[in-house]
Amino acid sequence: MSLLLFVVHRSAAAQNERGAQLAAMCASCHRLDGRDHGIPSITGLDEKKLVETMEAFRSGKRSSQIMNVVARSLSGEDIAALAAYLAVQPKGAEQP
Amino acid sequence: MNSWTRRQFGSLAGAACLAAVAPRVARGQAKARVVIVGGGIGGATVAKYLAMSAGTIEVTLVEPKPRYTTCFFSNLYLAGIRSLESLTHGYETLTQRYGIDVVHDSAAAIDPVAKTVALKSGATLPYDRLVLAPGIAFKFGAIEGYDEAATGIMPHAWIAGPQTELLRRQLEGMEDGGVFLIVAPPNPFRCPPGPYERASMVAYYFKQFKPRAKILILDAKDSFFEQDLFQDAWDRLYPGMIEWLPGQFTGAIKSVDVKGLSVKTEGDTFTGAVVNFIPPQAAGELAQQAGLADQSGWCPVEPTTFESKLQPGIHVVGDAALTDEMPKSAFVANSQAKVCAFAIAAALTGSDRFGPHLFNTCFTFLAADDAVSDAIAFEPTEGTIKISEILISQVGEDAEIRRRVVQQANGWYDAFMHDVFG
Repeated sequence: MSLLLFVVHRSAAAQNERGAQLAAMCASCHRLDGRDHGIPSITGLDEKKLVETMEAFRSGKRSSQIMNVVARSLSGEDIAALAAYLAVQPKGAEQP
Repeated sequence: MNSWTRRQFGSLAGAACLAAVAPRVARGQAKARVVIVGGGIGGATVAKYLAMSAGTIEVTLVEPKPRYTTCFFSNLYLAGIRSLESLTHGYETLTQRYGIDVVHDSAAAIDPVAKTVALKSGATLPYDRLVLAPGIAFKFGAIEGYDEAATGIMPHAWIAGPQTELLRRQLEGMEDGGVFLIVAPPNPFRCPPGPYERASMVAYYFKQFKPRAKILILDAKDSFFEQDLFQDAWDRLYPGMIEWLPGQFTGAIKSVDVKGLSVKTEGDTFTGAVVNFIPPQAAGELAQQAGLADQSGWCPVEPTTFESKLQPGIHVVGDAALTDEMPKSAFVANSQAKVCAFAIAAALTGSDRFGPHLFNTCFTFLAADDAVSDAIAFEPTEGTIKISEILISQVGEDAEIRRRVVQQANGWYDAFMHDVFG
């Protein structure tokens, strides 16, 4: 039983870590502290909406040079882990 | 009890747990130590992401300069659009928020057997893993007459700071009608669009203040990155001002006469009122000394960890790394640094790592309200790194699209600096 719990916990932790490592990639352009000085903030948004947006960039339904390239390099599992991670990050401080 | 005896006597469940989480550095031992030499984009990013992702690793960043001025966007300073101060960043947050030990000193020597870095001050830093992010060195002596002393008269301005200020002063002091000569280096070099963005940004300045001035680019190459975008912009925005001479036209750049401000090629000698000589480049000196560079002058690395192919336990990120189709850009250095940090954390603490996800985006200015960009994804393939997808701005785009790229570029700079130093 404890092993099972451990495995479940471990898998959730691994998913979170996967999301965090993928979010690190986003942080090259998007501030993850909720601020937005020209590139939209992506933290604290609805998880389902984030997945839909990334899928739209991946299929080309939404057009953006950078986001099309990034989204097409991610798997469905990557997008799910990333969205779950970003959705629970704080929206951050008020705009200065 | 160490992990070996625990494994011997532990239950099946216990053994399974250990297999999954056992850190390479057992509990009770000192923290694993990672030393990073070079506080540019690659080095600072590795330091921050290691400190964030693994609290059990002691992170030391060695960098002689108290503050870092970004080479990217420094052409905007030459154009008079941005101050150099706005491109300069300190290390305080890395220390205060992430607990990184920032040592303002230079690395003098590396001992890969004893696993130590000797500092100029005389101190010695032991490490479990070492990361070198030494950036570029100039191949002084590759072109006759261009040595370190020559940079005081013909600045390269390819490492931002005093060199960039010197070039700006020279441009300000230049008479209207003078010729600004740019010597562009052979591949590979830091920032592929850089020399041509520089021509565009100086033309932007000349157009306002010295409209009769000319810009002549003497190139070692026969083509360059985003050439169609630049040539379109030069015709559109600065007609008759910028001339580009490819390597096949000039022969090769043979020598410089520093006092005469002239550059001799196979066929001709060209003289400028201001000469910006961007020399051929190689990996930073420390990488050469430590035996990390191959015959190319750059450091071959494993594409999923950025561990040196020549010296195990030492990683190289950023411009110094030999990574095939990845350009030498700040974005690439940052992207490599994260992959490297997660790989080191996995090796030292047993944490998971995913990916690698490697990207590049460059924003390139053609005028204050006209910029272009590229987006590239990379894939590690057969020991090297190849482009898997690339999208680039197009000739003939609407002015509104280009203005939006300018806004994106400024937003990106803010977020990127926050990612590296914030």
